[in-house]
Amino acid sequence: MAILQHQTQNNHFQIFRLPQSKYVDAVRWMPPFSAFDKFVVLSFFDSDSSSCTIEIHSLDNSPNIQPILSPLSSFATTSRTSSLKTSQDLIAFSTFSGSLNFISPDYRSGDVSLNSSISVQELGFHVGSISCIDVLGSECVSVGEDGRVNVVNFGGSKVDYRRLFDGNGLVSYTAAKWASPTEFATGGLGFSLQWWDQRRKPGEPALQFKGNWPQKCTSGLVHSIDIHPSRKHTCLAGGSSGTVFAWDLRWPQQPIVLSGIGSDEGQAHLISESEVWEVQFDSHSQSNITTMPSSKLLPVMMCSEDGILSVIEQGAEPMELLAEPCAINSFDIGKQNHSDIICSLEWESLAILSRS
Amino acid sequence: MQTPASDSDSHFSILPLASSSSQDQPLAVVYPIRHSLTRPISRIAISWARGNTLHVSLFSHHQHSGDGEEDAGGRVVEVKLSGAGNGGIDNDAQWRRIIYGSVTPFAVFQNRKNSALALTKLPAGALSDVEWWEYAMEYSREINSLLSTAKSTASSTVEDPRTILAVDEGPNSLKAAWELLEIFYADKQSQAWLPERLVDWLADYDGLFSDNQSKVYSKLVDLQKDLVYVQAIEDDPKYWDGLSSALAVGWLEIVVKLLRLHGSYQLDQLGRRETENGLVEAVVVLVSKMPRLRPELPAGRLGECYRNKTDFIKAWETWRARVTKLECSAFWFECGHQQTKEGLRTMLQIMLGNSEHLSARTYNWVELYIAHFLYIRPFTMGLESMYSLAQKCIHLKPLSHHNSLMGLLLGILGENTEVVLAECSKAFGPWMVTHAIELLTAGNDQSENLLREVHDNLGGVSIEELHRLVYAQVLASHQLTWQIAPVYLMSCMKLGMGLLEILLYRQPVHQKQGLLKTLEICRLYELESVSSNIVKIAGVHHWKHGRKGSGIFWLQQAQDEIRLNKIAQKLFDFVGKSISEESFKQWEGLVQLLGSDTRTAGGLEFLHKYRDFKKALQQVGDGKAKDAARRAVESLITLMKSPSTPQRFWLPLLYDSLKLLTWQEGPLLDVMQTNLLLNKLQELSMAKLRPDYVEPDLPPQALSSVRLALARNLGRAILEEQ
Repeated sequence: MAILQHQTQNNHFQIFRLPQSKYVDAVRWMPPFSAFDKFVVLSFFDSDSSSCTIEIHSLDNSPNIQPILSPLSSFATTSRTSSLKTSQDLIAFSTFSGSLNFISPDYRSGDVSLNSSISVQELGFHVGSISCIDVLGSECVSVGEDGRVNVVNFGGSKVDYRRLFDGNGLVSYTAAKWASPTEFATGGLGFSLQWWDQRRKPGEPALQFKGNWPQKCTSGLVHSIDIHPSRKHTCLAGGSSGTVFAWDLRWPQQPIVLSGIGSDEGQAHLISESEVWEVQFDSHSQSNITTMPSSKLLPVMMCSEDGILSVIEQGAEPMELLAEPCAINSFDIGKQNHSDIICSLEWESLAILSRS
Repeated sequence: MQTPASDSDSHFSILPLASSSSQDQPLAVVYPIRHSLTRPISRIAISWARGNTLHVSLFSHHQHSGDGEEDAGGRVVEVKLSGAGNGGIDNDAQWRRIIYGSVTPFAVFQNRKNSALALTKLPAGALSDVEWWEYAMEYSREINSLLSTAKSTASSTVEDPRTILAVDEGPNSLKAAWELLEIFYADKQSQAWLPERLVDWLADYDGLFSDNQSKVYSKLVDLQKDLVYVQAIEDDPKYWDGLSSALAVGWLEIVVKLLRLHGSYQLDQLGRRETENGLVEAVVVLVSKMPRLRPELPAGRLGECYRNKTDFIKAWETWRARVTKLECSAFWFECGHQQTKEGLRTMLQIMLGNSEHLSARTYNWVELYIAHFLYIRPFTMGLESMYSLAQKCIHLKPLSHHNSLMGLLLGILGENTEVVLAECSKAFGPWMVTHAIELLTAGNDQSENLLREVHDNLGGVSIEELHRLVYAQVLASHQLTWQIAPVYLMSCMKLGMGLLEILLYRQPVHQKQGLLKTLEICRLYELESVSSNIVKIAGVHHWKHGRKGSGIFWLQQAQDEIRLNKIAQKLFDFVGKSISEESFKQWEGLVQLLGSDTRTAGGLEFLHKYRDFKKALQQVGDGKAKDAARRAVESLITLMKSPSTPQRFWLPLLYDSLKLLTWQEGPLLDVMQTNLLLNKLQELSMAKLRPDYVEPDLPPQALSSVRLALARNLGRAILEEQ
């Protein structure tokens, strides 16, 4: 169990690796209930018994010692998790078999139990697997390779969904992210992004982005989208061939390439050449976003198939946080405490980074 | 493999019969099967599934009982066979952790070897031996560090004086075996003091020698249990037995600790047993001053180290003289405690190398072997003499059971590479063999030749490659480790590449993550053609399952013109039938994806233009603008000119544009354009005669109304141009 200390420029951080005995399909921080708690939601696949579970663990990561993850409660699921999101007192996850589930953890005197769950798995919700979900308030958007875009309302004890769009398989969606209660973005094949505005243009994308990529670069898939709550006009996407780019709705046809093959020399760096599995805006170093010019992109964190976890900033050298021998499948930045990062690694383990 | 006949209560068992005649293992393991079938079983089929699992299909008697479908006619049950030869690591997850961890050291070591090989071809740049041993040692250490199973034992700060032996679950035979290999093959620094390395090794792993046999370790564990409640421990013969046994195998710290528990040290007895205590303490001093032929000892270990052989011989002789002097001392007569007297004198005999006592106080040949090194032949050098000493010890204490660690040690001492490999393979499986070969070949020309020589009876590969292939096969059979197999396959010169291709083709393509993983491996090893084939397979798979967008995307990635054109024909059928304003929304995304680049779109660029045309036409319908109409005409002309526009769309296109052809404010098409359209119409009437002509789904008067409109437009255009 290696403890690594890194000192790069002004950034000081510690890395801990926690081997698990199961494959980690997804990992998210759970918003804490008190100031001292840290909770992590993990989606496991146990290859020995072919069983899948959603588990909530409490994390004790005092500085300089090996963090301890202690399982609090677990919930058995029928299929492997394709997407996992958490919000205040809610865990939402979608599966490869096409069901969408919501669990509200029950906190009582330090104990957490995961037993009350509601799910949508009726025929026709999605055909095949759900590729991505995102939760905002009491609504959840789900997209799939079948080209369906559904918005699920889970307020109260029952769930119902409405289909915003059915692509009939002519299009496929691989990523989704809410921007506001009425707007969200989706991503799909050929580095395409769609902007949906349920008020202005219900039933079809309000804006389509198909970038004018420089040169003849190979096209790819979008795996992850992020939108910063204070900069709703910018949609960040990560996908194939190490590509990370931003789409500013105000200049809809020109992508701002942060990394990837399509980037111009000098402007962006090629950090990875393989799939970028997840991107998130990283608010750690930027204490006051409001003072930054709105034309400048906020720093971005990305993880990739070839084992890179890195922070990219427009016009600066990228900062590599991790370089693993195996893929980093997903990561999450602490929602309250931006200095905590948790990553799921392909070789059945987790990595926890603490920045100072 | 045999299956017993079924019994009535729906419980079944499978017992694989091992062909090996080794007596260590129980003859058969029983795997119970629960199948919950109510009817008697008529037929059973067994087949291999992934890895170590069996699929057992059970068919019940077919009966027409008319009770509906609630009673299943059969069941398929998965039976997981526990693998033999796990080296004391029972947990699959733990094995996988070792597998994951060993990838990087293996790959790094291979790279270094390859670059060293490349360098030796140059006259001046050969890798120095020293560097080479450092690399081998680094590899070995990294692998070794993966093998400890001990949880981080929180060492208590307060040491219990009565704890003589730390009993932890830590050591496993796999680690013990790896360390043996490391001592003999990787660690060049230990070559000068191999006997002492073996003493250390035994101290760590003596507990692993066969369970039911007695050994020094188990004697001490027993003694430790007694220590807690026995008061006058020196009256117990077990105490003295344990002491001399521990001394015989050189566990000096334990000996000293045990001696200090002697009753004569207690304050209330010190006065009465002064001489006795003096003798005990004298032995303690002798034991802790024992000369050792080794560069250093870890903290807390006893003995005095001598790096140099001549210094050691001098010290050894002085020490023995002191032992003999104590042995002949007159104080023994004054010692009143019989057991103490006898026990201490036995210990002195052991220190003097009395072979009878050594043999009596050790329990197997390895322990005796170590005792010989310590007290009789501390200067044993060279594998040959070490091997003959081992033979002698085996003769004195023959083996009753086969033990893999002992077998491995003998193979190493006998310089018999085949035996070493066989023991590794039998006891620890393919992982061990594959990684151990790296050590066996490091700097040993003889075994390198043996392992790298191509054998015809192995299908033209070397032993080294064969074992790597076997290991890769094991990796490939598990869903979480298959992606590691390429690392090992790529180190196989002969068959690796072919098997890698087969492995990649065998991976499922229907899930995005899996497909991208496969493609990533293709990218890493520059297998473009494999990658393009897999992408084609994926494209067709998605297309067949109704995900047209994904299908087209992947086929575009593969630049598969032929299939894209075929798909285009199908899409046109679909478009021709169902295109409406509403459904065009769905097409929008696909059209976006296609782009307008002919190269990647195949025949599908038509859709793109068709979309533009429809859009413009729609605007004409909504509003009024003449500009929109002009744009629509432009689109129409490009469409009609383009070779990729299928003929069957000509008439529907023209029919859709009737409004444009009969534009109120004046002709929108000039003479040239109108003539082009008229020619197309002519061509169409000719095509009607051909058998493969498809009649478009249009009103019967469509053709004539288009012809009329065109004729009128032509007239108006001629007038206008004059």
